[in-house]
Amino acid sequence: MTDEPTTMPNPEPATTAETDSDESTGEAAVPASNGPAIAATDLSHAFGDVRVLDGVSLSVAPGEIVALVGPNGSGKSTLLRFLARVRAPDEGTVAVGSESGRARVGYLPQQPGFRAGFTAADTLEFYAQFVDEDVDVAGVLERVGLADAADRRVDALSGGMTRLLGLGRALVGDPAVVVLDEPASGLDPGMVERLFGIVSALADAGVAVVLSSHNLGPVERTADRVVVLDGGRFVADGDPRAVVESVGATDLQTAFGDLVATEEVTGR
Amino acid sequence: MSGSDLDGFGDVFAIAARELRTVVRTPAVVALSVVFGLTVVAVAAAGSGARGGYVPLVLDLVPFVEALVPLLAVALCYRAVLSDRKSGELDVLRTFDVSRPAYVGGVYLGRGLALVFVVFGSLLAAGATVPVLSPPDPTFLALNEAADSPVAFLRFSVLAVLFALAVAAVALAVSAAARTARQAIALAVGLLVAFVVGVDAAAVAGLASETLGIDAVPLALAVSPNGAFRSLVLGVAVETGGGGSPTAALAGLVGWVVVALAVAVLTAWRPVE
Repeated sequence: MTDEPTTMPNPEPATTAETDSDESTGEAAVPASNGPAIAATDLSHAFGDVRVLDGVSLSVAPGEIVALVGPNGSGKSTLLRFLARVRAPDEGTVAVGSESGRARVGYLPQQPGFRAGFTAADTLEFYAQFVDEDVDVAGVLERVGLADAADRRVDALSGGMTRLLGLGRALVGDPAVVVLDEPASGLDPGMVERLFGIVSALADAGVAVVLSSHNLGPVERTADRVVVLDGGRFVADGDPRAVVESVGATDLQTAFGDLVATEEVTGR
Repeated sequence: MSGSDLDGFGDVFAIAARELRTVVRTPAVVALSVVFGLTVVAVAAAGSGARGGYVPLVLDLVPFVEALVPLLAVALCYRAVLSDRKSGELDVLRTFDVSRPAYVGGVYLGRGLALVFVVFGSLLAAGATVPVLSPPDPTFLALNEAADSPVAFLRFSVLAVLFALAVAAVALAVSAAARTARQAIALAVGLLVAFVVGVDAAAVAGLASETLGIDAVPLALAVSPNGAFRSLVLGVAVETGGGGSPTAALAGLVGWVVVALAVAVLTAWRPVE
């Protein structure tokens, strides 16, 4: 089975015009410093008889925002967990650009949870102990819009605020790569815009961002690349406009429906 | 805040501090600890042991400690790792490059310190009743003033702490190995029953059926934390000379700690399905 996606022009990332993301996507060797921030190669994984990823490869440059979109159960969260290196795939490798010291991938799980009884500031201070850099916890909370909730207990935060705190936790230590699983889930429209604003700011600062989302409007406006994942394979990968135009759609929402429907019709 | 000085042991202490704060902030655990302390002191005050001296008090307290300390240890530890896994915090900790031994060591250290504080503190409070309640003349149980000293009670208290830490390690292993809360509860209850009555009952049955020889009794006692604790109390704290081999018993308790923590380390990162 091939995993060749619907081919679209794959533009250079906004802030890394000279990066050739294909050159370093090979073996498990650590990519060169001017290569991709993170490179996943030939990832395959199955849960029992269900194959959730089938030989997918993904390379993300510094400063690039890659959005994974796909129907529920398409393997997005599994792929993101592999990229965050919290789970190993059955096959394939993930290499992160800077492996020196305690370099890490910031990770926001789909359902972020926290130790009850602690405040938002306590929580970030706890995680700050595991990174080498000085962490301005108040600054991180400010960055994700939770400055006013610093002293609020995590179990008293709303669902959206909990997700923002999860984003703050992912940003502790200023990782070069951030993986966000449904960061906009449960957020009101204003919060969604704010969140994608944070994501854009991260990319502007050179952070490679990989996120999954069902909020395709903000994705279309913010992402440098959209990767459509269905049935464990990439069925499209490219600039959002190119993905939309490739199926003659007017927007990403429509294109997504067409791409997924097409794949289903072909009996893949 | 900087973690520049935190590696390995630093991670252990960071996690231990959070565990300790968690325990202190968990009303159910605090309530259980208070109940444990009050029960131990009440047994000392209400029973005849404290009036007879330290050694009689130890003999009064042994059955309560054997039953209540495992309960307390399990309550403190049986969901520690499982809760972090369920909340996704284990995954996030992994992105911070926290190792499995550091994580398990931190959880064990933090919860173990809380356990030590409760068990040791409660027993010291119980021991403090002896000078208050005991009459000037020793009873028939305290025949030897040298044998009946606070040191004997202190040894008993230290052994109770060791016993508690052994059960806590096992409960932590349950917490790491279990995939669901129901599984954790079932395993914890099963282990409690096995420790408190199961191993002893099996040993008695083995002796009765002559499957076990009398020579195997010390080993059989050392197999379970409860049996090992009892052996150590009788052999080291009150020095009755009965109850099996203290060396085998000590090896048994330490063995439970080592094996249980190894199981916890190996299974801590197992993903939730």
